[in-house]
Order: sequence, then C-alpha cells, then structure tokens
Amino acid sequence: MGRAMHKAFPASLAAAAVVVAAVSSRAQQPPPMLETLRVQNNVYAIFGAGGNVTVQVGTDGVLVVDTGLASSAGALLAEIRKLSTGPIRFIVNTHAHPDHVGGNAAFSGLPPDPRGVTPDRAANAAAAIADPLQPLNIIAHENVLNRMVKALPPLQPGQTGGSERLRGMPIDEYFAPTKDMHFNGEAIVLYHEPRAHTDGDTVVLFRGSDVVSAGDIFTPDAYPFIDLAAGGSVAGEIAALNHILQLAVPGHTEEGGTYIVAGHGRLCDEADVVEFRDMIVIVRDRVQDMINRKATLDQIKGARLTRDYDPEYVTPTSFVKADQFVEAIYNDLRRAGLSGPPTR
Amino acid sequence: MIGHGPNRVALLLVMWGVSVSAQRGAPPGPPPTPKAAAPVDLTGYWVSLVTEDWRWRMVTPIKGDSASVPLNPAGKKITNEWDPAKDEAAGNQCKAYGAAAIMRMPGRLHITWVDDNTLKVETDAGTQTRILHFAGTAPATEKPSWQGYSVARWEGGLTPVGGQLPLGLGPRQSTRSRSLEVETTNLRAGYLRKNGVPYSSKATVTEYFERFTEPDGNDHLMVMTVVTDPEYLARPFVVTSDFKHEADGSKWDPAPCTAR
Amino acid sequence: MFQFRPLRLFSAAVLAAVSASPAFAQADFSGHWAPLFHEDHPERLPGPELGDYLGIPLSEAGRLRADSYDADRISVVPEYECRPHAGDYMMRGLSNMRVDAIRDPVTSRLTAFHLRMGFQEMERTIYLDGRPRPSANAPHTWSGFSVGTWQDNVLNAYTTHLKENYIRRNGIPASDKRTFTEHWVRHGNYLTIETVITDPAILTEPLVRSQTWVLDPTQQMGRDICETVPEVPKAADYVPHHLPGTNPFLREVADWYGLPAEATRGGADTMYPEYRKKMGKPANPPPAICVRYCNCGLNGGGCNVQ
Repeated sequence: MGRAMHKAFPASLAAAAVVVAAVSSRAQQPPPMLETLRVQNNVYAIFGAGGNVTVQVGTDGVLVVDTGLASSAGALLAEIRKLSTGPIRFIVNTHAHPDHVGGNAAFSGLPPDPRGVTPDRAANAAAAIADPLQPLNIIAHENVLNRMVKALPPLQPGQTGGSERLRGMPIDEYFAPTKDMHFNGEAIVLYHEPRAHTDGDTVVLFRGSDVVSAGDIFTPDAYPFIDLAAGGSVAGEIAALNHILQLAVPGHTEEGGTYIVAGHGRLCDEADVVEFRDMIVIVRDRVQDMINRKATLDQIKGARLTRDYDPEYVTPTSFVKADQFVEAIYNDLRRAGLSGPPTR
Repeated sequence: MIGHGPNRVALLLVMWGVSVSAQRGAPPGPPPTPKAAAPVDLTGYWVSLVTEDWRWRMVTPIKGDSASVPLNPAGKKITNEWDPAKDEAAGNQCKAYGAAAIMRMPGRLHITWVDDNTLKVETDAGTQTRILHFAGTAPATEKPSWQGYSVARWEGGLTPVGGQLPLGLGPRQSTRSRSLEVETTNLRAGYLRKNGVPYSSKATVTEYFERFTEPDGNDHLMVMTVVTDPEYLARPFVVTSDFKHEADGSKWDPAPCTAR
Repeated sequence: MFQFRPLRLFSAAVLAAVSASPAFAQADFSGHWAPLFHEDHPERLPGPELGDYLGIPLSEAGRLRADSYDADRISVVPEYECRPHAGDYMMRGLSNMRVDAIRDPVTSRLTAFHLRMGFQEMERTIYLDGRPRPSANAPHTWSGFSVGTWQDNVLNAYTTHLKENYIRRNGIPASDKRTFTEHWVRHGNYLTIETVITDPAILTEPLVRSQTWVLDPTQQMGRDICETVPEVPKAADYVPHHLPGTNPFLREVADWYGLPAEATRGGADTMYPEYRKKMGKPANPPPAICVRYCNCGLNGGGCNVQ
C-alpha cells in the first residue's frame, strides 16, 4: 500500500474492513476461503492464506507466526479479528518466502490497538490513534531480514528509501541459536534451524500451550522444498525435523500431546513428523547410494527412487515434484561431498 | 395439554386401541414366501476374494499344516495321515468340497431361486450344487452327501417382548435382520482343507449369508461358516469368506474336484 | 375434568411414532469380545512372514514401501516403539475388545459405540448421532473418525482421518490417505466385522477382510502401558531400511512354504481364483511335511513356530 493510504488508515475495525476491500479488489480475486482451527489453549491455526498461520491470543494482544500471501492479508486479518480484537504485537516469520511473509506489510500498516488508547476506549474506538506503547514487532532470524532486504527492488531516481521501504521487514531480528519471549501467559521460544528449508528457518515453541509452529521445514502432504539457493540443505532439514521431534511429546497412545502447525497441510503431532522425517532420510539414502555407484542425475531420476512415496506426497498442483525433490537432494549431497551413508 | 392423570391414560388407551384395530379388519392373507420376504437379494454371480488364509486356499496346503483350525488330537492325527492317492482311489476327490469347506474354495458362486421356497448355490470350483430349503428337515431316506441337507431361514430380527402396550417405556421397535441363516446336517465326512484337515459325519454347519453395499457401489457377500464337530474339533470352527458381486457369469469356470 | 382433545391426541401419537427412530440400537454390540483366530492365525499373532504379500492388492508404491521395511525401525526409532494399531488394523482382532454403548443421558438414545482394545489401550468411537466430519485440516488419529448408520441389523461405519500405519506387520504400510468401511453384524454370541480398506497410495483395489469375535463376559481387561525407552544408540539421521532391490528376506516365504515367488509379491490378481492358472510353479517345492506354524490353534490353543 502507498504512503497516502498508510496515513489515512484509521485505527478501527471498520478500517480493517477497508483494508480487506482494498487488498481484495487489488488482487482482483475473491477473498480466499480461510479456516481457523483451535490447536490448544489459546493457540489457533489458520489455513488457506498461503502458508499456514499460527495465532496466539490473550490479554497481552496477538502474536502471529507468519502472515501468508500478500493477497490474503485482508482475509487473514478478518479471520484473526474473529479470535481477538487486541493489538497485533508480534509477527514471527519462520522464513522469507512470500507465502509466509506476504502479509507483513499490510499488518504493519495497521494501528497498534484498534480499541484506541485513551482511558475512554469505547469513545476512541474509531479514532486513528497510534499507541507507541504497543508497537508491532516483526521477528525473524537475521538471515530472513538479509534476504528480504536483498530482494527489494533497487531505488528509482528520486526515491529515498527509508521506513516505508522497510515496512513489513523483520527488523526485530535475532542471530543467536534461540530467542525467548513471554506473551499471553506462556513462554515462547524461537529456535533457529540452520540450513534447513532455508538458512533463516525459525521453529516456534509455545511452551505452555504445547504447540510448535514448524514453517516449511514440515509439510506433511508434500515433499519438502529444500531451497538450496536460499541456504537450505538436506542435512539441516533432517536435523530440524529431529529437533522438532525432541520438542514434541506425544500424549497417551502416542498421539496428540504436542501439536505441530506445519508450513502447509493439516495439523499434526509427533507421529506424523516421524513419518515425514523417515521418508526424507530413506530417499536421501537411496540417492546417496546411487551417487556412490557413480550414477548421473538423469540415471538417478530414471530410477524413480521416490515411487513408493509419490502417491502420498505428489499431486497435480504440488509445488515440489518428485524430480525436483530428488534433484535437490542430489545437488546438496554432491556439494556436501558426503562419501557414504550415515553410520550408526 | 395432555400432561398426566386421566388425559394421559386416555391417550395410551387410544393408541393401544388404534394398534389393535389395525390388526383387525380384513382377514390376514398367507404369509409371504421366502422369496417374496427376502430382505436382501443374494442372487447373482459372486467371486471369491482370497485375502485371508491364502496359502491354505489358493494352493494345497502342506501336509500336516492345520494352522488356525481348532482341531482336537484325534483331528490332528487324521490330518497328519492325509493321503490324496487313497482319496483318488476311493473316488473321494470331492472330499474338500463339502458344505463345511466349499465357501473357502477359490471360485465363483451362482445363487438363484429354484422356486419361492428354495435357493440354489452353485460353485464352479468342484462343480458343486447346494440346495437351501426354506422349510422342513432332511427326509429320513436322505443319504449323507458332500453338501448334506440345508435348511434356510431369513434370520429373525428383534420383536418387542411383552405386547404392544408401552406403559412406562419408550416406543417399541422391531428390528429386521438382513441375514440368511442356513443349517446343514447329514454330511459325509470331509475335509475342511484340501490337505486332509478333517470333519466327521457328525459335523453340523451353520452359516450366515450377508450382502453389503460399499460406498463405491461394489457389493460384497460375506458367508460366516460355523462348523461344529464333536469328533475332530475342540471348539466350533468359525471362518468368514468374502465375495465380490460380478455383473454376469462370463468368468464362470467350472473345474472338477481334485484331491491334490 | 376429563376431556378428550382429539387434535392433541393425534399430534401426540404422531410424535410417539416419529420418536421410534433407528437412533435406538438395531443390535446390541456392547460387551466383552474375544477374537477368534480361525483364519490367518500365524499372521495375526506371531506375525506375518517377511515378504508375504499374498492376496493383498498392492500397488507398485505399496510393494516398494513393503520391500524397504526393516523391522529394526521399531526398536531403533524410539517414536515407533509404542506405536499402536490403527483403527482398521485393530479390527484384525489382535487383542480383546470391550464395546460400550454410549447413550444420551436424557433420551437414552444410542449415540455411539465406544471400543477399547487390550493392546496399547487403544480406543475408538463410532458415532451414531450424525455429527459432521472434522475438517480436512484437522489432525489425523490412530483410530480415525468413524460415523455409523444402521441398515436393519447391520451397522455400517465409515472412517476417515487415519494416521499412517500398516496393513500387515511385515512392512505393508497403510497411508494416511486411506479410509475404511466396516459392516458389523451379530449372530448370537458371534460378532463379525467386515472391513473394506481403500488406500489410493498403497492399494489398487479395496482390501476386503472379515474377522469374528466371540462374546466373553468373563474377560478382564487390564492395562497395557508402553513406555518409550531409547534402546539402541544411533546416529540422529539413521532410519533402518533396505535400499531398493537389496532386501535379502523377501524369498523366505516362497521357499519355506513352496509357493510361487511371484505370488508372494501380491497384487490384485492374487486375490482372484483365476490367478491359480497363471501363477506358475514354485522354484522350490513345498516340504513333504509341515515344519512351520503347523499346529496353531490346536485344541484351541496358541501359535508357535514349531
């Protein structure tokens, strides 16, 4: 949205509807059908906005993990508003892909507290009053910020950049292995998963609610997109899944307990992550074995090493087809120069 | 407002009266024939789906293999002494195709009504024919045979006990059964499996035939067979055989009995 | 004052008739049930032989998944140690079962059957109150989500939302894309359940099997608590499996029982009687006398390999 739109944006629920209409008409598509499911306690998952979105609500406000596609931002906000009218205080981006950060800019254009900030909140409900005491912080690993900044179009003559160009950027970045928060009564821990799906992946643990937001590290209905160009790797992907398995504790009869919000696909628990992890390990081992036997990439693709998993992980609309998955593994293993299957 | 007291009693009496008067009026006609009363249509062609007990059904099992059959020691002894050459010499190639075991034979069934009171079940495996009689018992002169004498009935459902008056209780409800029950006696001693797992001439066979329609439109026939044999079985032997409906008999493939 | 109110009497009679609905049980499945192992006893209890895909309508994908399976996974991967049977596999009757009729506390209508299995304390609910299915985005569970309807004395149930599990415990998987249908019927003290599994990822045709249970009022169901304990040190990225074409155990079942090797590879053809004409001869003839699992069920007893 342009600067004029940003300044004119009023701090009210009615204004949120204006945002929805503007975004929808701009996209020239009907608003997406979103679905919200309660995960556990006050943590919810919203499906259909691009990547899956996790929402934690409470008296402190709203924390959102990922913001979906830009074209879905209006519908996503409307869905969040069904859960809470509180200020959106935090966005945590699991990685930099546009189906997970696309709504950042739109959310950044919102006033911090639509209820208004004067003592007479009801009277000020429609007022455009910003509250510097409840700002929106967008958090991600610093590699996400670096990639998003690099992806900005070059400045045009006469353009000066500034805060408007950085709107929606996760400028509250972290670079340590973890980052702790406490919000709405529970501890929230962000874990950087190095070189997994990308080099900027964050897994979010809602410790009190026993929910993990995994981002695109985990996609139960699709082969993982190991984005080598963005610093992803097979070894890191497997390590990240293993870490999620460490964080997850199943309930009685090995189901439930810790729930995992995947980057795409249904709500899952530990058993679903194990199947996904095992699939990646097995396919990796098959590719490695053929590399060890000096097979070319075409020969490896021709061997159809994933044919037992394709019916579960490939559909006509899949983002990652079998060949792409195998090729990513092949290229990564060749690059890493592994000389054999992992030892026990 | 009906409520309690005299008005409630009046309601109940009226309901009972309506029920009774519905049973009066025109004199009752003859009961429907078994064919007319059939709650489910079992006729047609059915093909075995051998998804269970494969190596005891699709091939002749290994001699001495009686896995899953609750034989007693006498039955196990007979099993271990199986000699197909003797059966062939005696003309007993059909010993494993008797009523106690024929449903386990991979093959096809063709079920038809002979008349309003008689169902016929033909098998292409062993070219056997079973006649299911909806009335009577085996005639005294009937000799034991591989298929014995089968008496069929549409299994009775649940009917209310204690009349129609629903005093103090909820409305009574009858339940219809969709199952065909068949009792077979008068059997010649035979084999539960082709490798000589025996049943004696004292055995009786109780079966239940069910037809199920699946969401994909396929129809399945399930035949539950309970073999009771005081001579060779430690307890009743219960198996269920599944069949898929076929549109016609184009795959009907008669094959004679074999002892091996 | 005693008064007849004909219109209200008629209405009440109609209401009474309408309320006599199939939501009252058409058959009673409640009670304690013991499984009968008069079919496939060796497969269902001790366990299926490796490479035995006989009579399973396996797809190519399902066959490779099964060939790749290494049973070490159950002990090496801690998350598999206490994995229970899924809703369809538990109906193969590997453990005793208790069925409870769940009734609406106000109307006494039967709203569900609740099953509890002795093995791993598995539980399933078959809802009879017509409730809607969960969203496609809802979690899958071992038991899935089951809805039942009555057809005379038969209970038909349809289950979705299943987790990945197995069709046989020798590696034939059951994907999370599958659904299954059941038909429950009771005759006296026998309960028979036919299951029809449809799995577009693993099977080319529905897999139809049926199992029988016998009422056992003396049954005492205890606890079966499983605790996950890492047993074998391993690298974090190690998962036991066989690379394609390397599983050395796949010929055992054909060799031990004198079966055509091709038949042991499964496929829809192997279910039908005409398969016998084309399955060929075994590479090794069957033994002259049974040496493996010969006496399972003798005197109604158990099942040992000898």
